[in-house]
Amino acid sequence: MTWTDFPIIAPLVAALLVAVAIIGVDMIAPGRSRPAIAVALVGLGIVAIAIVWTDQLVRTGQASGVAFGGAYTVDPLATYLDLVFVAIVALTVLFGPDYLGARDLPVAEYAAVLVFAMSGAMLIAGSSDLLVLFVALELMVLPGYLLAGFAKHDALSTEGAIKYFLLGSFSSAILLFGLAYIWGITGTTRIDGVAAALASAHGVSPALALGMALLTTGVAFKLAAVPFHYWTPDAYQGSPTPVTGFLSVGPKVGAIAIVLRLFVEALGPVHVDWMPVLAVLAVLTMTLGNLVAVSQTNVKRMLAYSSIAHTGYILVGFAVYANDPSGEGLTAVLFYAVAYAFMNLGAFAVVAALQKRPGVTSQLDTFAGLGRREPLLGLLMTLFLLSLTGIPPTAGFFAKALIILSAVQAGAPILGLAVVLNAIVAAFYYLRVVVYMYMREPQGEPAAVSHGALLRVGLAIAAAMTILIGLLPGPLIDAATTAARSLLPV
Amino acid sequence: MANSLDAYLILSAMLFAIGTFGFLARRNAISMLMCIELMVNAVNLTILAFGAFIPALKDHASVIALIVIAVAAAEATVGLAIVIAIYRNRRTPLVDEYDAMRQ
Repeated sequence: MTWTDFPIIAPLVAALLVAVAIIGVDMIAPGRSRPAIAVALVGLGIVAIAIVWTDQLVRTGQASGVAFGGAYTVDPLATYLDLVFVAIVALTVLFGPDYLGARDLPVAEYAAVLVFAMSGAMLIAGSSDLLVLFVALELMVLPGYLLAGFAKHDALSTEGAIKYFLLGSFSSAILLFGLAYIWGITGTTRIDGVAAALASAHGVSPALALGMALLTTGVAFKLAAVPFHYWTPDAYQGSPTPVTGFLSVGPKVGAIAIVLRLFVEALGPVHVDWMPVLAVLAVLTMTLGNLVAVSQTNVKRMLAYSSIAHTGYILVGFAVYANDPSGEGLTAVLFYAVAYAFMNLGAFAVVAALQKRPGVTSQLDTFAGLGRREPLLGLLMTLFLLSLTGIPPTAGFFAKALIILSAVQAGAPILGLAVVLNAIVAAFYYLRVVVYMYMREPQGEPAAVSHGALLRVGLAIAAAMTILIGLLPGPLIDAATTAARSLLPV
Repeated sequence: MANSLDAYLILSAMLFAIGTFGFLARRNAISMLMCIELMVNAVNLTILAFGAFIPALKDHASVIALIVIAVAAAEATVGLAIVIAIYRNRRTPLVDEYDAMRQ
């Protein structure tokens, strides 16, 4: 490393320092959540500033954008994804203290582990080397396993954690095997080198086909795509609710970053061989996710299956991108990731708010009469669910519209039709929660709970972004287009 | 075929397959963890075989293998911690008895 590398990796260094600072504060004032949360939020602000600063340096040509001899790159895509990760972690930190505090779980460690996971996700976004990509992936998912089992005396939490861990590391091993083959065949770990080697080779050798099959399987596990989704419902249902919110968006957007770097960038020259597979995975994933979600009576489990369905919609964007030289599919994927992050985190935050009193389950009955009991919370949940359904004028509407448009423009209207049909099925189970909130009488009289200021601020931000992206999608579409262009061959 | 790249690749693919089968067939969480380790070590053998037989990859192979070993160690640490946590709650290491959420 030389000093010229420093401005490029400044956001990563800042993220790691923030995590260490949170632990340091916790050692000075053990068990107190306020100082740790304050350090985490201020620190995340600094990380965001560092990301924008680095981006400006690269844009104006003051820094090269490449560090460590080409292993790490800052381009518009890395900046875009980094900012998404910071927003996700900041919201998750805001949603945590209410739920964790009521259960005597350590808030400082929660924040620190989240920031470590974020540093891994940021490293994925900027990695231009297969080995860096793998290490970054592990850096993102290992904290995720810990977070899933955060309530270590709770049987459900540890059960979710062990299923998440076993299948997560199983898929990491499969992905690593695929990476080893890609490296052995192309002779380089650099992503641009892999792309160049594959572009000059003729056809796909058996070893390359094996490597690609292993990579697809590994990534499908990470994305929770059908038929590699079995860990998802248990891991999501068992985890503490704020953690579930994070797991359903953070590692998911991280996996999207892997697909962008690994498949679109490194394996781009052989896209005709993997795109049909992604198209089939997309349709299977959204259909099965939605059909199983319909029969769920637990809202956390239902949202877990709904997140599988959203993976399917996102995969459509990947499946169609190469037929369309303008990269509309990738723009749609990047836009969807942001819209999905805010609306899904918001929905899980409402569930977490209801579960502030320990012992409250996430069954549908918990939501009965919520519209009258806590009108504001009911209204917010309705907003997030409408957005997840894809009803205008919310963020979810434009996200789905962009995906469908990209499919139609790329000459794959069947995929667009599949998304539309699935959105109709999804409307049923999302709106059922709304029916429970406004048209069912609660059994007994649930005690009123007061919500913390941090949770209110977080919910306000998630709701504001969900509406704002829905009313003014222009700036985000522009940002996503710029980010997507940095992947397209010039 | 002896002492060729293909022989080593087949050997490591077989080790990987044994690990995969073990992971899918075993019920004990510790055994499943060991099977994952076997899979990762099969990958390491693949990497080192590439390095040993392709001169251009020689320098990179040992570095990559070392990093993979370090990552696998970190993974095993987290895994054992989670296994201990669930053992304290359930008093069994058998994964098919972890069915509290099955509907």
